[in-house]
Amino acid sequence: MLTLALLPLFYLINRVRTISKADFLAILVREKTVEIVLNTLLLALVVALASLLIGTLFATLLFASDLKSKGFLLAISALPLAIPSYVVTYCWIAIWPSFRGFWAAALVLTLSTMPYSLLAAFAALRRIDLVQIDVARSLGSNRFEVFTRIVIPQIRNSIAASTLLVALYVFSDFGAVSLLDVDTFTRAIQNLYRASFDRQSAALLALILIGFAALLVFGEARVQGKTSVTRTSARLRDELAFLTKPVAKVSIFLLIVGYALLALAVPGYLLISRLISNFDGIDFASLLRATINTALVATLGALIAMAFALPLAWTIINSSSRWAVVTERAVLISHALPGVVLGLSLVAFSSALPWLYQSVALLGFAYALLFLAKGVGAARSSIERVPQGLKEVSTTLGVSPLRTLGRITIPLAAPGLGVGFLLILLTAMKELPATLMLRPTGFETLAIEIWSQASINRFNEAAPYALMLVLIAAIPTFLISRPDRNHQESRAGRGLDGVA
Amino acid sequence: MHSLKKIALTSISLMVMGLLASCSASSDEATELTIYSGRSEEYLGDVFEKFQAESGIKLNVRYADSAELAAQLLEEGGNSPADLFISQDAGSLGAVAEAGLLKQLDDSILNQIPSKFSSPEKVWVGITGRTRVFAYSPSRLQDLPESYRDVTNPIYKGRVGIAPTNGSFQAFVTALRINAGEAAAEKWLRDLVANKPQYYEKNSMIVEAINAGEIDLGLVNHYYVYEVSKALGREIGVKIGFFEKGDLGNLINVSGAGILKTTGKSEAAAKFLAYLLSPYAEETYVKEVQEYPLLPGVEGPQGLPRIEELGAPTVDLNSLKDLRGTQQLLIKVGLL
Repeated sequence: MLTLALLPLFYLINRVRTISKADFLAILVREKTVEIVLNTLLLALVVALASLLIGTLFATLLFASDLKSKGFLLAISALPLAIPSYVVTYCWIAIWPSFRGFWAAALVLTLSTMPYSLLAAFAALRRIDLVQIDVARSLGSNRFEVFTRIVIPQIRNSIAASTLLVALYVFSDFGAVSLLDVDTFTRAIQNLYRASFDRQSAALLALILIGFAALLVFGEARVQGKTSVTRTSARLRDELAFLTKPVAKVSIFLLIVGYALLALAVPGYLLISRLISNFDGIDFASLLRATINTALVATLGALIAMAFALPLAWTIINSSSRWAVVTERAVLISHALPGVVLGLSLVAFSSALPWLYQSVALLGFAYALLFLAKGVGAARSSIERVPQGLKEVSTTLGVSPLRTLGRITIPLAAPGLGVGFLLILLTAMKELPATLMLRPTGFETLAIEIWSQASINRFNEAAPYALMLVLIAAIPTFLISRPDRNHQESRAGRGLDGVA
Repeated sequence: MHSLKKIALTSISLMVMGLLASCSASSDEATELTIYSGRSEEYLGDVFEKFQAESGIKLNVRYADSAELAAQLLEEGGNSPADLFISQDAGSLGAVAEAGLLKQLDDSILNQIPSKFSSPEKVWVGITGRTRVFAYSPSRLQDLPESYRDVTNPIYKGRVGIAPTNGSFQAFVTALRINAGEAAAEKWLRDLVANKPQYYEKNSMIVEAINAGEIDLGLVNHYYVYEVSKALGREIGVKIGFFEKGDLGNLINVSGAGILKTTGKSEAAAKFLAYLLSPYAEETYVKEVQEYPLLPGVEGPQGLPRIEELGAPTVDLNSLKDLRGTQQLLIKVGLL
């Protein structure tokens, strides 16, 4: 399975093998490469940090308050996930033509990745050990000390992992950086393919990109602490809420609604006004077909991804060998791959197989490879959180390991696995470069229709497809943000704590 | 759990439906053609439908970016399911031709249009012409450039928009390298960079930027002013200007098509290619995109000079495939 995940890497190495030394140096030793490296790293750094800080801040504020509208606030702050970066960027440029450059890209990408950080931090906060906080408070620590010494260490792993995913996503983004004229690796790679059919140089750049992704991934591993926290108490979290004054609550509410407005108002206004101005021209049959196709193939991709992710996560958890670590890291690195590279590598490997090439199954498989990291991450953390004690009891009672897996581990990990599924579903719906290359001929998805209209400047005609994409992507987004899901998890967890 | 099960069941049934649908779509009959089209459905859709109705041959059309389709064809090599490749520009056709993937075409097809608009190796044929022009703001720009060389003049400093990652700009640079020589091309590009132009991803964004007052002059293809104005649904403050006769700045590039060697349906493919060059099809391109028809006798776009009057330079379109050298030069001067 790991071999499958590494297909793009084999492809790239194979392409680069034939490159001449002169070409190799021409690509590496030039001013522009320095600019590309700096742009890519700085953009990833700025977006990841901004996303981390805002996400953790919002999550902490929500967690520490007793706002009744938490569910609503979580949902609207997650909603920007449903809008593809190329759509957001088109909308900003349409309203403000001089919106371009590094900081424009940083803004767009931060607005659209922040929800990942927020949701990850919020979920981690819900799992922290409240007894430790009580103990610390009784020993005279103030809130700041409690936050830095007790809370941060407990949520550190989660937020580090989500920050890494954000940084890797920035590596792979093409839509925002190309429209805003920021030269990053992914844009340079795409341009090389596009403009000169120079597959070798593009492959070389892609390998360098993977190298940087590997540095990030292994760097993050050093931040990851060993503290695997098992909660010993399951007191109601609301008892912890100290931001109960109306002023504080109103401020939090306004802050989060403000973010959502900033992220949603521009695309929302533009798409709806364009839709209205061309309402009679909407081709409803094509819209319906594209919607069904999008839902279908994204669902297939998410299912395949989770089917791969489960055994991979299982191996990573239960094997202490170095291979397990390498596997996990390799999957993460692949998250930084530009869709065009994965697309071409799958063309190279599958075009000789007519039954597979340009089939719905191949496209689903491509999504699975592109977004496997999300699936493995979700599967790993949710399986790890199943109390060891329960599994031991089950084994003691003579239940076979496989049965224990089916009756204890999977059902308890199901909500977490569901979140992984939904995350992939949501991301796959928005994917464009690999979809263009691998979809069955004549199989148009919403992302394809948006591209097809926007590429000839028919933005009014693109608007219905873009709005529909946002609407259907909002469904998994909403489900992910739903706090009930977390309640369910904690209820299950509470019961388990009793047994263990 | 219940809802999870429901989701799983629904998705499995959807999957099965999809697989069935994709199976029936890929069933191979001599009455079907697979087209890789770098030109969009909005432009060619009507022509395709009319051909299907008249010939009974079903067209499975794959729309994507021309150069990306070329990259895909190169990657597929001998395994390509495509019968025909339609491209926005000569460069993508040239790259596919150079890899030996295109079939020799019949003279009966090639002879319909002037031979300078087709490949000398007779493996692809031009369908429409598109010319490089400058777009400008008539209210803010009084001194119009007479040659592409003037664009590096300091009076335009910071006022010019270019799209260096775009195929049409790169085709121009290729023509420049071949006609004026590498050294002259490099000097022009360096002077251009020193003149602090604004960079855009697409030609249309240049036209929009002129309309928005960000810049005053831009190097684009002729139909973008029309396209942007049509997309906005109103007149815009941008005009098309031609350089003086014979200037390389007026380069004519073509959209065109070729038949893949891997096709098992040469006859049907040739029939379709001939249809793309029929008077009806050529008239449609003029109407839909304001491009120049290549078929003699078909009326060109209104309000624009006729293709013979453009004073276009003589450039071997087949040489435009040398994008690799162009790319290296653009890399060297820091534009890529």
